[in-house]
Amino acid sequence: MLMAVIALGAVSSLRAAETQRAGDWREIAWPFPRDGWPMGRAFRCVAGGCDGAELYVRAKRGFCNCETGVADDDEVDRVTDIDLISPRFRAIAPGTAVSVAAMHGRVRHYDLDMPDGARHAAAGLALSRHCDLLVAVAQGAGEATAVQRAALVFLDTEEMKGWMAAALDGR
Amino acid sequence: MFRCVLTAASLVLFACSSLVHAQKQTIGAPPEASNMKLVGSNDLQARSAYQPTIHHQGDRWIAYIGHHGGTDDVPAPVNPMTGQAEPNGTSIVDVTDPARPKYLRHLPGQEGKYESGGAQMVRVCDGKTLPKGDPAAVYMLRTFGSEAHEIWNVTDPASPVLITRIAGLKDTHKSWWECDTGIAFLVSGAPDWRTRRMTQIYDLSDPAHPQKIRDFGLPGQEPGSTGAVPTELHGPISTGPNGNRVYFGYGTNKGGILQIVDREKLLTGPKEPTPDNLRFPEIARMPMSAFNGAHTTFPMLDMPVAEFAEDKDGKTRDIVMIVDEAILNECGEARQMVWFADVTTENRPMMISSYTVPEASGQFCQRGGRFGSHSSNESMAPVYYKKMAFIAFFNAGVRALDIRDPYHPKEVGYFIPAITAATDKRCIPVEGGERCKVAIQTNNVETDDRGYIYIVDRANTGLHILELTGPARAVAGLPKN
Repeated sequence: MLMAVIALGAVSSLRAAETQRAGDWREIAWPFPRDGWPMGRAFRCVAGGCDGAELYVRAKRGFCNCETGVADDDEVDRVTDIDLISPRFRAIAPGTAVSVAAMHGRVRHYDLDMPDGARHAAAGLALSRHCDLLVAVAQGAGEATAVQRAALVFLDTEEMKGWMAAALDGR
Repeated sequence: MFRCVLTAASLVLFACSSLVHAQKQTIGAPPEASNMKLVGSNDLQARSAYQPTIHHQGDRWIAYIGHHGGTDDVPAPVNPMTGQAEPNGTSIVDVTDPARPKYLRHLPGQEGKYESGGAQMVRVCDGKTLPKGDPAAVYMLRTFGSEAHEIWNVTDPASPVLITRIAGLKDTHKSWWECDTGIAFLVSGAPDWRTRRMTQIYDLSDPAHPQKIRDFGLPGQEPGSTGAVPTELHGPISTGPNGNRVYFGYGTNKGGILQIVDREKLLTGPKEPTPDNLRFPEIARMPMSAFNGAHTTFPMLDMPVAEFAEDKDGKTRDIVMIVDEAILNECGEARQMVWFADVTTENRPMMISSYTVPEASGQFCQRGGRFGSHSSNESMAPVYYKKMAFIAFFNAGVRALDIRDPYHPKEVGYFIPAITAATDKRCIPVEGGERCKVAIQTNNVETDDRGYIYIVDRANTGLHILELTGPARAVAGLPKN
């Protein structure tokens, strides 16, 4: 009995550590009006250090240079959905290369002037798979690096990897 | 009873076999056609083709055809004239006798595959019309992959000579060159701009000495701007100093924009790329649905519309035909098609009609490759201008439209070439892999002053030269053949 309690405690601690790293993301309704791309999925972080942050993910098929992939930071500015959150955004630093779910691309941090006057931090992510793009934006009142870290861990989960592959296939 | 069941089963089998036939092209099958017929063809060395330009050069007719880069299977096809593997570039074909086109020269382009290599775009001007050109010369403007624009002396089309290169660019695409002024609207990606493609305006009246005039784009694309980046340019068409308008098409398959610009203000206005200076020459901007792009924006100004002939006002209309580009194979996106905008009141442009090939007429979503529009002919020669338009529709071939009433465009002919052993496959992802089909991918179309129609294939099937037949000829006022 004691062993079981210890084991459960260990599992619980591991889960807590995992949650701390990945955040606890709950799916919410896609918050943006219909545009030229099919809707994606949206999530809100409810625990784990990214509380209140939101993550929007979707596939943009046929939107990528098939040979060069995500070439530069300007492309991240153009293709991520950051302009749907607010048209007033400003990159705060050069982006960095990133890999998620065997796809390569770039991630960049932004300051966002929200419609209600608040200032948010955001991380825009663009990944390429041949001629297609997978884009994601995580944004919240917290610090961009922490939001980005939690979002990347979440995107690398089996469930999200499976969904992203299907979305890029047009399924 | 048994006989009834048998008959019904036979009908079902017949219907199914017809459907299968309609969905799949096979080598050796005849082309599908209505009111258009094949005059001649050339395989273009099995290179993926983009833009054809047909030029009346002395007493000859020469087709200059731009190519995409190579494919994964054949990155650099062998040129049988040289025996060498050459990266796709420009095909130069003598089409004086359209029944026997003669391949003159392949001019290699940038190494690379698909959109990343080749020399997709081409325009041609005579030296005698360019203000500072050699009157005896003919000049070809082409892209060199994504990195440069080039001007070649093609006076002898079999032996082109490079004159000028404008290099150091991120991306290049469908430029426009005014042959009577030399002004060129070059589609490029300047390194410091925030978009892949914008306009670099040059004076190319002396092809050997290009003079940069200015950079141009939508506010938000310029260097140093922040916030949302407007969709990228595909290409402009200018009406020259007389028309004094440039029609820019932004976006190819999504969120298209038609921008109408005062040419004089564009050329002589303040040139520093600030938001105010970029807005200065703009007359109007018409945003399209998020579902559709503006690949080609073809102006047809002062068109008499028979239906309005008795009206006190508005008997003639200024029309811009907007063609979207289908991008995804097997209908993986919203339908890309043809739109007609009435821009007579320039600051209130309005979409008035549209055209698409009925999908069910050929089960085109199941044939393989892209289905939807891509481009129109851009010749303004009197033979077809403001009367007929020809639309490249990928696996639905080329479509001939009667546009004399642009409020009610009507298809009057079509031609879908047969596939050959050279026709390349087109694939879509499926769970655990991909599934491929082979189908015609008519990419571009152009016409010449004689009325011949030239279509080229993105899937390596080459060039087909066509003519109208039957009632379609009457639409253009051509004699019966």
